Formats: sequence, C-alpha cells, structure tokens
Amino acid sequence: MNKLGNALYEIHHMDMLAAKDQWVNRLHPLVKLVLTIVFLTVTMSFQKYDLTGLLRMGIYPIVLFIVGEISFCDSIRRLRIVLPLVCFVGLFNPIFDRQVIGYIGTVPLTAGMLSMVTLMIKGIYSVLAAYLLIATTSIEKICYALRLLHIPAILVTQVLLTYRYVTVLLEEANRMTQAYSLRAPNQKGVHFKVWGTLAGQLLLRSMDRANEVYESMTLRGYRGEFYYTAKEPCKAKDWLYLGVWLALFAVLKVTG
Amino acid sequence: MSHIHINFEHVNYSYEKTVPILQDITFTAHENDSIGLIGANGVGKSTLLKLLVGLNPDYEGSIRVEEMPVVKEMLPKVREKIGYVFQDSDSQLFMSTVFEDVAFAPRNYGLPEEEVEKRVNHALKQIHIEHLRDKQIYKMSGGEKKMASIATILAMTPDIILMDEPSIALDPRNRRSLIHILNDFEHLKIIASHDLDMILETCSRVILMSGGCIVCDGDAKEILTNQELLEENGLELPFCLQKPVW
Repeated sequence: MNKLGNALYEIHHMDMLAAKDQWVNRLHPLVKLVLTIVFLTVTMSFQKYDLTGLLRMGIYPIVLFIVGEISFCDSIRRLRIVLPLVCFVGLFNPIFDRQVIGYIGTVPLTAGMLSMVTLMIKGIYSVLAAYLLIATTSIEKICYALRLLHIPAILVTQVLLTYRYVTVLLEEANRMTQAYSLRAPNQKGVHFKVWGTLAGQLLLRSMDRANEVYESMTLRGYRGEFYYTAKEPCKAKDWLYLGVWLALFAVLKVTG
Repeated sequence: MSHIHINFEHVNYSYEKTVPILQDITFTAHENDSIGLIGANGVGKSTLLKLLVGLNPDYEGSIRVEEMPVVKEMLPKVREKIGYVFQDSDSQLFMSTVFEDVAFAPRNYGLPEEEVEKRVNHALKQIHIEHLRDKQIYKMSGGEKKMASIATILAMTPDIILMDEPSIALDPRNRRSLIHILNDFEHLKIIASHDLDMILETCSRVILMSGGCIVCDGDAKEILTNQELLEENGLELPFCLQKPVW
C-alpha cells in the first residue's frame, strides 16, 4: 500500500474502532466529550514541577485503553508523527531553568528537566485523550455532543465535513497517483515536472466531488443543520461513569 | 389524469452561452409513468435530470414539478417529492455507515427516531440489503454502494424517482433486483441509462435525446425496436433484440 493508501486505511481504521460494539463505545458521547475536556483542563492545571500528581492522572488513559480494548502499541505507532512534536515544546526548559533540585545517583536533576518532563507528559496526555475520544466515539456522535454543548452549528458542520472531505481528497489523490505510477513504472514517486498539473487536477477533482456530495446532501433535505445521530438521553450508567471520573479527578487534583 | 406530473416547457440550458446543452425541451410526465431517458454520451440526460431537482438553476423556459415551479424559493418543497440517485454512488454516500446515510433524509425532514428507524429498515428490506445496515461505507463494493444509494432515496418515500445510470456497477443478480424494485415502484420514475435492456423491462415510455434535443418521445417498445432510429442517434438495439454473432 502506498502512503496515501495507508493514510486512508488509518482514517478508516479509526472509524472502525469507533464503530465497535464495546461498553465504552456505547456510552453517551456528551459524557465522553465532557470527560475529555475536564481531563485536559485538570491535567493542564498541574504545576510545572508536579510530576507525581501528573503521573497519577495517567489512570484515565490507561483505563480507557483497557476497557476500550484499544491497542496501546498501535496507538503509539499511529501517533508517531504528532508525539515528537508535542515533546519538542519542552526541549529548551533544561537550558533556561538550571536550578538543581536533586540528584539521581550522581546526576544532578534540574528544575528545567523536571518541567520539561511534565510538559511532555501533559502534551502526551492531551494527544492520547483526544485519540481515545475519537477511537471510542464516531465523528457523528462527537458532533452531536458538540451541538448539545451549544457549539454553533456552522462550526460543528465544518468539523464533520472536514473529516469527511479529507477522505474524499485522499481518495482522489490516491487514484491519481495510482494511475500515474501504472504509466510510469520505472519512477520512484511523482516527477517534480508534473507536481503542478497533479496538484491542480487534484484541486479541481476534489472540488467537483465535494460539490456533488453537497448536492446530494441538499437533495435529501440538508438546510445547514446536520442531524448527526439518533437523539439519545443520558442514562443512569452514563451519569454514573461521569460522576465516578469527576470525583476521581477532583481527588487526584486536591491530593496532588 | 393524475395530478402528479412533471412539466417541461421550451427549456433551454447551457453552461456557457455559446455552447447549448439542452435545447427546446418540452414534455410532460404523469403519475405512474415510467420513462427511460436514452441517448449517446453527452446528449444532456444527466443535465436534464439535474434541472428537475434544481441543481442547475439558470435555465430558460419553465419547469414545474407537481405544479410547483422549479425555482430557488420552491426547491425544498420540490426536493421533498423527488428521490435522485446519482451516477456515482461515492457522491451519494457521505456518512460512515449505511444506516446513518439512509437515515440522513428522514432525520432532516424532522421525523421522530422511531419513524426514521422504521423507514430505514423498510428501505433496506425493499432492496434486500438488510445485512448491510451497519456496514461501513468504505468497506462496500461498487454494487453494494449502488444499492445503498437507492435505499437512501427510498427512505424519503418520494413521489418521483430519478435515476442516473442506476445499473452501473451492479452484478446480474443485483441488476435483476433493481429491475424488480423499479417495477414495484408505482409512482413516476425517470431513468437515464445506456442499459437499454433494463429500460425495456422497466419503462413503458422512452424519451430519446440527441444533441441536447428530444428526438423522439413515445412507446418504449416501438422506439427500442427501431434499429434505424437508434443507430442514427448513436445507440444500438437492446442486447436481447440483437441477433447472436456466433
């Protein structure tokens, strides 16, 4: 499979994970979305030297990985491009903050090193929390939850359609590169002389396709408001799940 | 004569003013009509269907659907009456699963969720794809996608069905199934297709187009057995009427 094919596969794989018939997948999307937001807020609120408190917050992604039966290794592999970028943000802390706060054996531990690690962990938690949300909740359900939070319809529709059109764009690009490679068997990749033509073609084709999808939506009653999924009330188990996690976050924050 | 009908009066349409796509199109279609729209590639069949649902709004002349003019203000009402199946199923299916896609229209029309569920199940049953209900769209074959596309419009319970090349990508069994569905649909249907055998089996009336004009409008059997007329307009006799070459 080429790179574009792989990218498509990854997107479809996320859809497949979200469509699994698991207990955690069946929870109300609003509960999962609120918990993700609360988890991120609490995580970010920890002091920059509070490594212990931060590490204890790891219980949330760990539990979700287990109950959602999501492979940790696969997730890390999927996030391999984002995670280094997230880790990069704290890289200069040891240079600017050199106050020694302890020793590991004979190696001095500086405040900058500690804050770098906490910053990296915060970044990793954020990415994992977002990943776990989309791995257990379909994009339609996330959008439904966003609307329940009164996020404007136009913004939510943008989120949904961007997600859908990314695959449209990738599929078009995949078709074009496949057609190209079949007629240029001895070339590695696409020759730079045709980059412009291919990019132009891709833009035009994607616009055409996007227009057709939009036409199809309007023909079936679309008026600017997406009715994402069946309206479902929060059940007792959803409230219980939310309550338990909120209480735990409160305890972890207070005792951190 | 029933009240449900489509009325085209001297309709002209062009993307660019110098290149006319449709010229002086005039015809009327009544309830229960089953019309095959045939013609060579690029004669304007798809454009004509798109005019009917207001996807190409800048036309000259008059188009009315159930006495409602096809103009911007009336489009929501016009579109409620019409189910349109695109030539390319990938353009029609944009949600993640078959259920979500088929439920899209009923939800947009504000039906309660029980009714949505009922409509979806009924539409899937009608075309025998209940087993695809929760299937991810991207995992489906071309034929399955086509059948799912048809289900999306059946869930709207339309008064009029428009289909653009519906038998493309279908295997013989699914094609036969489609023919049964079309024959069971009692309201007005217009099918644009090169599959003349299917047109012969599903339509009682044929509109033959050439160069953006209607060349002939009449009984399906008469037109589809007229070899000279078909060949003059870039077509051939349906396969079932051709002599075997072996």
